[in-house]
Amino acid sequence: MNLVGTLFVASLSCCALAAAAALTAPAKARLWLAGLCTAAAGACGAAAGVAALAGQSWSAWLPGLLPLAGARLALDPLSGAFVVVTGTVAVCAAIHGIGYCRHGLDGRVFQAVLPVFVASMLLVPAAASVSTFLLAWELMAVSSLLLVLAEHRRNTSVRRAGLWYAVMTHLGLVAILVGLVAFAAGAGGESFAQLREAGLPPAVKTVVFLTTLAGFASKAGIVPLHVWLPRAHPEAPSHVSALMSAAMVNMGAYGVVRVGLDLLHGGPAWWWLLVLAAGAVSALYGILQAAVSSDLKRLLGYSTTENLGLVMVGVGAAGFLAATGIPVLATLALAAALLHVVNHAAFKTTLFLSAGSVLYATGVRDLDALGGLRDRMPYTTALFAAGALCASALPPGNAFVSEWLLLQSLIHAVPGSGVAGAVTMPLAVGMIALSAGLAVATFVKAFGVGFLARPRSAEAGRAEEVPPVMLGGTALAVACCVALAVAPTVVVPALGRAVAVVFPGRDVVSGELTLRLAGVSGVVSPLLIAVALLVSVMAVLVLVRVAATRRARRAARLWDCGAGPMSARMEYTATSFAEPLQRVFDNVLAPESDVDVTPMKESAYLVERVRFHARVPDRIEHRLYDPLIAAAAAVGRRARVLATGSVHRYLGYGFWALAGALVVLVVLW
Amino acid sequence: MTDATFVQLLDLACGAFLLTAVLVLWRRELAAIVWLFALQGIALTALIVVLGARQGDVELILIGLGVGALRAGLLPYLMRRALVAGGGGRETQPLVNVATSLLVAAVLAMLAYALSQPLVRLSPTPATQAVPVALTVLLIGFFLLVTRRRALSQLVGFLLMDNAITAAAFLTTSGVPLVVELGISLDVLLAVLVLQVLTTRMRAAFGGTDLDELRELHD
Amino acid sequence: MVTGALGTGLQVIAVALGSPLLVGVMRQVRARLEGRAGPGIGQPWRDLRKLLRKEPIAAHGTGWPFRAAPLLVAGTALVVAAVVPLVTTVSPLDGVADLFAVTALLALGSVALALGALDTGTAFGGMGASREMAVLALVEPTILVSVFALSIRVGSTSLGQIVTATVEDPLAVVSPASVLAAVALAIVTIAETGRIPVDNPATHLELTMIHEAMVLEYAGPDLALVEWASAMRLSIFLGLLSSLFFPVGIATAGAGVLAVLLSVLVLVGKVAILGVLLAAGEVFMAKLRLFRVPELLAGSFLLALLAVAASFFLA
Repeated sequence: MNLVGTLFVASLSCCALAAAAALTAPAKARLWLAGLCTAAAGACGAAAGVAALAGQSWSAWLPGLLPLAGARLALDPLSGAFVVVTGTVAVCAAIHGIGYCRHGLDGRVFQAVLPVFVASMLLVPAAASVSTFLLAWELMAVSSLLLVLAEHRRNTSVRRAGLWYAVMTHLGLVAILVGLVAFAAGAGGESFAQLREAGLPPAVKTVVFLTTLAGFASKAGIVPLHVWLPRAHPEAPSHVSALMSAAMVNMGAYGVVRVGLDLLHGGPAWWWLLVLAAGAVSALYGILQAAVSSDLKRLLGYSTTENLGLVMVGVGAAGFLAATGIPVLATLALAAALLHVVNHAAFKTTLFLSAGSVLYATGVRDLDALGGLRDRMPYTTALFAAGALCASALPPGNAFVSEWLLLQSLIHAVPGSGVAGAVTMPLAVGMIALSAGLAVATFVKAFGVGFLARPRSAEAGRAEEVPPVMLGGTALAVACCVALAVAPTVVVPALGRAVAVVFPGRDVVSGELTLRLAGVSGVVSPLLIAVALLVSVMAVLVLVRVAATRRARRAARLWDCGAGPMSARMEYTATSFAEPLQRVFDNVLAPESDVDVTPMKESAYLVERVRFHARVPDRIEHRLYDPLIAAAAAVGRRARVLATGSVHRYLGYGFWALAGALVVLVVLW
Repeated sequence: MTDATFVQLLDLACGAFLLTAVLVLWRRELAAIVWLFALQGIALTALIVVLGARQGDVELILIGLGVGALRAGLLPYLMRRALVAGGGGRETQPLVNVATSLLVAAVLAMLAYALSQPLVRLSPTPATQAVPVALTVLLIGFFLLVTRRRALSQLVGFLLMDNAITAAAFLTTSGVPLVVELGISLDVLLAVLVLQVLTTRMRAAFGGTDLDELRELHD
Repeated sequence: MVTGALGTGLQVIAVALGSPLLVGVMRQVRARLEGRAGPGIGQPWRDLRKLLRKEPIAAHGTGWPFRAAPLLVAGTALVVAAVVPLVTTVSPLDGVADLFAVTALLALGSVALALGALDTGTAFGGMGASREMAVLALVEPTILVSVFALSIRVGSTSLGQIVTATVEDPLAVVSPASVLAAVALAIVTIAETGRIPVDNPATHLELTMIHEAMVLEYAGPDLALVEWASAMRLSIFLGLLSSLFFPVGIATAGAGVLAVLLSVLVLVGKVAILGVLLAAGEVFMAKLRLFRVPELLAGSFLLALLAVAASFFLA
């Protein structure tokens, strides 16, 4: 076994160790033991991924592990990229979790399921046959469901979220199962190597692609299959949210790349235009919902939909450009998508973990009740600020680089990709730009309202900084953000090797300090931008010192246009901050509000109380899912006719069904 | 006229043609809309004259000037008269709000481009390459016709469609027979006159020119 | 290379020193057109000097975001002033940031200011920040799609390359694509620099304020920095517009020191003319209602998209 294999197996063993420790260790040591073992598993996984990205590949066939086919595992650079992400996120989340779980989440089962979840997410990209893949996928779904339900005793909304998640994730599994089984049946074998060689008729390929796409898109939170995401992510414990939002959803993108681009070798252009369109719509819809959301974790969940949407735009563009015969740009687009996966994982881990810290310290995740954490939780505030900067895709943040690459791949596509490209690309650029702009507004809101100014509630006023171990986990994620932001010239070529699994033989970028695109014209230097910003801010500071008066700062009351002493009730809230955007996008969001006027008893003209209630429902859920659920419920009610309570009748159903099946068998064979 | 100047002049004329259509969609004041329509008539004239000058075809230039006199002179004049009689006003509440209709126009432009590609591929000259512009204006005109409430702005929508058809005809075939052009122009004039009478009657009957009020006749 | 570095240095200095004068010129033009005498074009500099001499204030309940915001706004403006080709196209910093990066850097400045405003916790700060962010979000599509339109001709988003191509073929600017992109970017400039009809820099009326609402709590040297930075942003936008669509006189590769010096003068002249036009236009215009602004921005987005379309419709 080579280095990759050793590290990978070590990582899985650490997961097993962590689960065992969680089940057996005494309550006092449990959190630290399980947490550290999970972190070690993540670290080994990340190292294995890095080694795989560096070019070493590993595969294994364990015939005894699964009946009939045996388990097949393989790590190539593409899997490696996703394993690195999962591993690193697991390290941060596990360390943060040691502190986070102190209040009520230190139960045996919860602590044991967490490493299993990490292991399943390491196994999904490493799986190299249909059965192994599906098994790992199901393990991932079930373990994450258990983790989402961890706090179901405290909060009834958790159960509802769990139900949505369970249904959606299993429908997704069914779609993937159908697609991959059809693929394996057509190919006459179930290992990925055999699937890659298979020559299927185009119609079957399309069926395989579309069914698997539906499953993978629902995992990635792509509109309109995203409804579980903004429910489940907020309700899960925060470090689990980080794992789900930064690592698990990536598996959807991995699935589309692996099945669509690798196993099916691309396909007709319309497949990929579909992916691109779904991605662009998700990006816009997700961030729009995030912009008007006032629940911090729900906001982050919707932002995941946005970012995975952007990833899908990249993947779709890659497939489309490959289909239209521009491999240079296809390579660039896929590299941009993978880089965005990595970047998103880094900043979303930061954000969810710091949101977890806030929840830990205040018990509140409603932005309208937060604020004033800047002085009370200075480190968490700084960490969230770094994450928010990255998430808004502004330099010197890391997401700026991946969005820049994505935009470059789109704008260079125009002359070469025909009518479809000429029509799609400008619209895609416009939608990405709008989602980037809205992301800026969203994260200014999340940070500015959530952390700055004065506390808007007693809970926020009582907040204290969280324990160092939680800060450590978050700081690690921030360190990853910083590294990704200043050193894309190292990261992108490494991801280029992952891209080469699908589009072989091409560099993506060159240059050490500046990022120089290979094949098309385009240069940017994130490192130098960061340096220039630093230098010029220093220069301004010096200038002010020289030119301005040297008097010390005098403390004074806020002017506030001469108004009386300020109270927290006068502050802008998240809802009021989002109001202009909500009004602009009124047609899309369709916000609901109702005013409840209670008159006095004595006279109808004297008002005793006015209640105003406004909310922005997820319109897709409203319009698409509610009718479906209602229809299913109606069918269910009608089916109750069959259940009369007679045991004989029930047994009769079984008998007749068996007899019917036998008749069918006799007739058909 | 050299090739480069011809292409540049033609493109500018087409750009102005498109821009005026977009601005018609954008503005609310009926007076401004009429004015923009007149500007579009001038752009159309320029377009035909440039084509005529390129081919050295005096008849084409004359047709162009005739078209211009009708579209930039007579029709705006008639509309302005109707407007003055009605006391001016603005398109208060279009069925689709202005911001959305501008975005719809963006999508329509892309659609027009995609649609006209087979046509362009038949003979890729600078003139046929401008056909998508005409098609975009056609779609914008139709959209205007569908979403506006005031009779006058609907009329402008209709006339935009007509302008677009004329432009497309000249761009693809480098000129239609004089008789045909004359026939079309007279039809258009007739339509405008009929609509003018209609608006006057409507105002007499309902006191406004919101076409949705015609529904009352049905009930 | 040496002249490139010289040009870059000169353009930073020109923007840093000249932008308050630009604001002075614009105010003077407005004053004259409105029938007032006006304070003279040096007034913004005198204001800055006065503000710098006042004692700095640490308002209760504000923290590091409030202090850092003015530094960051001025810092981003300086970085942008160094990387865009205003005086020379052969800047040694050309590879650092392309047009996408420049717009993102300017947005970073707005974000810093918005956070500073939110940090005060006053209703005005929140209101200004919220509106500024809404406008920023809606402007973004127009900017990026216009950049797209400009890049098609050159095949690159590098500012140096776009400007060089225009210098070599000045007539290409008179194409529909270029004209539409110019109009779209002009609207963006107005929206981003907070001029009429999107925002009125001279008002302190709560119904309409955007930028001024954000900076209400600043005083003394902090306010001086904010004012200076917003003047720099205005001159950068105007300079960029002139470089992209009318790059006459800009120093290209192989230009001597004299050409670079001349180019600075030409730049000052062009920006002053644009400023005068903008100020004169403002006199004849009323501010739009805040909720009509999206209409304006949707229109500019349509123009930008048509610019992209025109560059392959009519190519």
